[in-house]
Amino acid sequence: MTRSSLTPSSLASSSLTRRLFLLAILWIAPALIITGIILTDLFRTHAEAELSRRMAQHLDELAAVLEVTPDGAVVLARDLSDPRFRRPLSGLYWRVDGPGDRTLRSRSLWDQALDLPADTPKDGEVHRHTLTGPNHAPLVAWERSLHLPGAVAPVRAAVIADASDVQAATAGFSRALGLSLAVLAAGLLAAVAVQVRLGLGPLRRMRGALADLRAGRSNRLEGAFPGEVQPVVDDLNLLMEENRAMVERARAQAADLAHALKTPLAVIANAAAAPGGMDPAVVAAEADRMRHQIERHLARARAAPTLLHSQGGTVVLPVLRQIARTVARLHTERGVDIQVDGDARARVRADPVDLQEMAGNLIDNAAQWCTALVRVTAVVADGGVVITVQDDGPGIPADRRSDVLARGGGWTRPCRGPAWA
Amino acid sequence: MRILLAEDDAALRRQLAEALADAGYAIDLAPDGDEAAFLGESEPYDVVVLDLGLPVRDGLSVLRAWRAAGITVPVLILTARGTWQEKVEGIDAGADDYLAKPFRMEELLARVRALIRRAGGLAAAELRCGPVALDTRTGRVTVDGRPIALTAHEFKVLSYLMHHPGKVVSRTELTEHVYAQDFDRDSNTIEVFVGRLRRKLGSDLIRTERGLGYRLEAAQ
Repeated sequence: MTRSSLTPSSLASSSLTRRLFLLAILWIAPALIITGIILTDLFRTHAEAELSRRMAQHLDELAAVLEVTPDGAVVLARDLSDPRFRRPLSGLYWRVDGPGDRTLRSRSLWDQALDLPADTPKDGEVHRHTLTGPNHAPLVAWERSLHLPGAVAPVRAAVIADASDVQAATAGFSRALGLSLAVLAAGLLAAVAVQVRLGLGPLRRMRGALADLRAGRSNRLEGAFPGEVQPVVDDLNLLMEENRAMVERARAQAADLAHALKTPLAVIANAAAAPGGMDPAVVAAEADRMRHQIERHLARARAAPTLLHSQGGTVVLPVLRQIARTVARLHTERGVDIQVDGDARARVRADPVDLQEMAGNLIDNAAQWCTALVRVTAVVADGGVVITVQDDGPGIPADRRSDVLARGGGWTRPCRGPAWA
Repeated sequence: MRILLAEDDAALRRQLAEALADAGYAIDLAPDGDEAAFLGESEPYDVVVLDLGLPVRDGLSVLRAWRAAGITVPVLILTARGTWQEKVEGIDAGADDYLAKPFRMEELLARVRALIRRAGGLAAAELRCGPVALDTRTGRVTVDGRPIALTAHEFKVLSYLMHHPGKVVSRTELTEHVYAQDFDRDSNTIEVFVGRLRRKLGSDLIRTERGLGYRLEAAQ
């Protein structure tokens, strides 16, 4: 894995499995490292607190066994109970500074001198000092000031412990914890791997269904998928159905156009073969018919809905107003008044360009045949939008309307009847 | 009347130029957008026929530049781009009319005539001034219903004056609107054409405003 492959763009473009793994690693690794740091710190705090507690007991015992002789000397009535105070350089020491610079030391100090920093704790206070002891061992001293009966001055009593024991214990705990967390991380990643495999199973099945589709073994994505994937499958199936319908429509339109052009072509061919030569009027008339057919089929092709619906839909009224403004300009000569009104919330699931084509053809037709007024309305009704284009022109007789809407049909001659477009 | 024709297709440009010239217009040709922009900014045209898919610079940007510069010449967009989205764009850019290819030459000529009439505030296709009538559709001129034969340049001078009735038109203005850019212009010839028109149409139809130009006025 190169560094560049971890950039956000590469994450987005890489496989979903790799992406999920990387995200899991990016989450698990810092979480476990932070956990390890926190647990190690907790362990060290606990070990130091335990050492402090034990050393406080030793300090209390030391204070209890101190006595003052009749000549004013400070002595120990008996040895302290912990045998490490008697074993040389054991790591556990005590020291008492009495009046007249007389000092008592534990046997464990052996021949080492261990000076405490200058300090005068108040009654009841325990002060803590860090020192360097025999063999440069890090030491921690707890000391208090005592007023012994018969003593002429306060006595400094201190117990000292080797802190390296705590450090060694903490390091050992940290190693064991690190190992445990590594095992946990491996377990979590294994769980992620299983989860990813199971989670992406539906996508693998969808890929298989797509492969079947490409191979022609099916004509839609078959199978049941989880709720999160099923909408995508449904949309894809819908898209393919629309695509098939569009292809069918395109074939039909191509066939219609070819059929519509054959007749004028035949007329032109016959005219060319006529004994007197080609009549320019015939050619012009047939060329005009062919141009009309081409324009008509182009308009129908443009008005056909595109495969992709626009996201969030298209607000209808602004598009209608745009078209109305343009059509009115194109019919300036006739002074056509085009009024647009309706529900401002009206939206359709269609591309704005498709809506322009559909509305443009209708409004332009109405403007072409109106006397002076075209009225366009857009109303939200039954979960859809009804766009009505009305004009004050002659309209189409009721008995000819089915001809207009029939495939290949049309109506271009104005006549009297209810006005509509 | 003088027309700028901006069209990159040589064959169509030739056909259009012939048809417009036959209809009595003086034609300047621009095969690309830069040439069209330059001519539109520097010459006074009565109409521009503008293709959108021009090389070097597209027609829509040329039109926007004209409108931004305050050039109000009527523009007819003639293009193969026939969707309503493109029509809306063209009209919003400042076009006065829009004709999609394929088109009929008669329709183009009718739309050009309509644009010229609208620019002069005229509604009818037949222009009248006293006994003189000029049918813009056929190019036929009559005096009291009697047909009058005019040469091409006489017709151009009369047509321009009839489209601006009552307005004093200078010889320079007439020259600019009667001759194409590459024509060898001589403003003195305008006097000759006006003289001939007076002989054919009546001496009191075209009045001379001394030092200013000519004014078409119906006799009282």
